[in-house]
Amino acid sequence: MVTRKALISATLIAALCVILVLGYLAGRTFREPARAISIAGMTVLEPASPLPEFRLHDQNNQEFDRTRLQGKWSFVFFGYTHCPDICPTTLVVMRDVQKIAGGREQGIQYIFVSVDPDRDNAATLGRYLPYFHPEFIGATGGHGELMRLTRALGAYYESGEARGGSYEVHHSAAIFLIDPEVRLRALFAGPHDAARLAQGLQRLKGGS
Amino acid sequence: MIRFKRFAVGVMLMMTCLLALADSTIVVRDAWVREAPPGAAVLAAYFTLENTGTKEDRLVAVRCPDFDKIEIHATEIRTGVARMIALDALPILPQAVVKLAPGGYHIMLHHPRRALAAGMSVKLELRFASGSHMTVVAPVRRAESGAAHHH
Repeated sequence: MVTRKALISATLIAALCVILVLGYLAGRTFREPARAISIAGMTVLEPASPLPEFRLHDQNNQEFDRTRLQGKWSFVFFGYTHCPDICPTTLVVMRDVQKIAGGREQGIQYIFVSVDPDRDNAATLGRYLPYFHPEFIGATGGHGELMRLTRALGAYYESGEARGGSYEVHHSAAIFLIDPEVRLRALFAGPHDAARLAQGLQRLKGGS
Repeated sequence: MIRFKRFAVGVMLMMTCLLALADSTIVVRDAWVREAPPGAAVLAAYFTLENTGTKEDRLVAVRCPDFDKIEIHATEIRTGVARMIALDALPILPQAVVKLAPGGYHIMLHHPRRALAAGMSVKLELRFASGSHMTVVAPVRRAESGAAHHH
């Protein structure tokens, strides 16, 4: 009998603890100003999330850092040139976004960040990207700097196991949209659709 | 003796027919190779497989002298991360159509031995678990998503 009472009390106390912890967490969440709103395959960050400092280089071996993103809207995709399917597919979509939304003259840039710096360098990117569009920017750098950027965006990459002298790189399929104040403003989950990406940008541009 | 010979010839003819039948259960359509940027180390080939037969078959290998190595791959997007998975075989169930297309199943073509550009073509030999095999001509094409024409 005593043990049953003890059991009931213990259960009640445990339940109370759970309620208190949940209440605390819920309160914290509600106080948190950041929100993510999803509309038509686009997740908008409210407020936009500022990017930290990072140092990469582009296909012309010029430094590629935060300043290169200032004052422009940038679509960013992470991939690698030894990727035969999803990367060229996404770059073709970006080319179509460029056709609809515009490029440099409209203050919009398209950036392919290689997360395979062991095989991709400035020269590799310089040969690869103009095929898709002469304005496309290729960037890469050391894993430390790449991680700094990917982590800030909530992006992910990881090299797979070596097989027969080659390896794959697993990477986020999303396209990230950085605003002119160098903040992550939105991200688009795949499968990508050029018209939807362009519309998403227009919507955000109009509202900023 | 003559009767046996006739019998043997008959059996062989029947077997040839069966083999021909086995060969014809898989139909390959719309083969193409996606044109890659100059100097790219890898390309992808796509096609549609249709199993018109009553038994499952599996694509087990693709051969082409124009590449160092060829693998059957699937692009898989799980929790937002794209991964390429090398497959030992691609099953095609009876009466099923399996489409290899950008963003999904593809044939990964490693290290082209000659520069391939749109307008050229390669010959791919497809080998199946049933023992049947066939050669298809895959033109090299520039990929267009077509989405730009929507608006």
